[in-house]
Amino acid sequence: MNHLTDEALNEYLDNELPNRAEAELHLSQCADCAARLTALQTLFDEIESLPELALSKHLAAPFTRRDAGFALPTWLKLTATLQAALALVILVIAAPFVTNMLPAIQAPSMSDMFLQLQSQWMAWLDRLSSFHFPSLPSIAMPDISSIMLMLILAGVSFLWLIGNGLLLRNQR
Amino acid sequence: MNAPSDRDLILRARRGETDAYGELVTRYQTNIFNVCYRILHDRPEAEDMAQEAFMRAYDRLNSFDLERDFAPWMRRVAANVCLNHISSQKPTSELEEERDADQSQRPDEQVEVKERGEQIRAALASLPPHYRVVVELRHYQEMSYEEIAAELNIPLSDVKSHLFRARKLLAEKLK
Repeated sequence: MNHLTDEALNEYLDNELPNRAEAELHLSQCADCAARLTALQTLFDEIESLPELALSKHLAAPFTRRDAGFALPTWLKLTATLQAALALVILVIAAPFVTNMLPAIQAPSMSDMFLQLQSQWMAWLDRLSSFHFPSLPSIAMPDISSIMLMLILAGVSFLWLIGNGLLLRNQR
Repeated sequence: MNAPSDRDLILRARRGETDAYGELVTRYQTNIFNVCYRILHDRPEAEDMAQEAFMRAYDRLNSFDLERDFAPWMRRVAANVCLNHISSQKPTSELEEERDADQSQRPDEQVEVKERGEQIRAALASLPPHYRVVVELRHYQEMSYEEIAAELNIPLSDVKSHLFRARKLLAEKLK
């Protein structure tokens, strides 16, 4: 009686052996081959019982982040709104000065332009320092010195930059 | 509320809802990582390749047959990504030499490995990469010899011989 080869036992367990019934008949009569089959089956079971390892990072992050897009935190939304409101206020305050300044800027040479800009800037600061709201007598407007005004403008610009930086970082 | 089916998530992902694909990734990431880990036996590499597999599958999502299950298809993509990764690296013989050298340098660690699972992992890790791939496809992805041959583009006889030799080596190491 010919024993089953190792290859035949492998194919039998893989359900790839063509003459399966013949092999089963032999296995029922041959203790040696049956023992080899059991040993091989144990190996299969051991390989397949290997527990799964846990991941150390979340692989879905690129997909969820790409989709999340503009799900900004509340504080960031408030910063952006405040930034937009401040920009609007500054635009309203600056509009008359800018319209006054625009016709004056006609010098073709850079040095002239620079000097003109400088004088306009100084004049603008002077006007700002003495600026009142005459048309709104009921609203008490505080006197703002030119230094204070510059500090406020610098603060607003800084806020603006920080806000934009945060928005861009969140988009990445 | 019932969780959406894989099919629903795939359809949504095809419409551009990337969060739907993110949910699929969350669902199968551990399984896919383990496919990669069993083939590569290196955690950072396996995580990178699992990520790569999900990226590749996302790009091919429109060609996925919705009548089939997503998980087996995804596992197959992962196995292929790992296989390509192995092919692009050093030749098999060098890998084996490195692994043998590494084992000879740390005999104490090997002795200390008591858990059977660890022993099996160590035995699998000691196999040449092309043996590990056929073991993965046969034992963990339950593919037939013919499917493995088609997947790896190798003759059927090679599938059989790789598988038998791999098991023989595993049996010797796990005695």
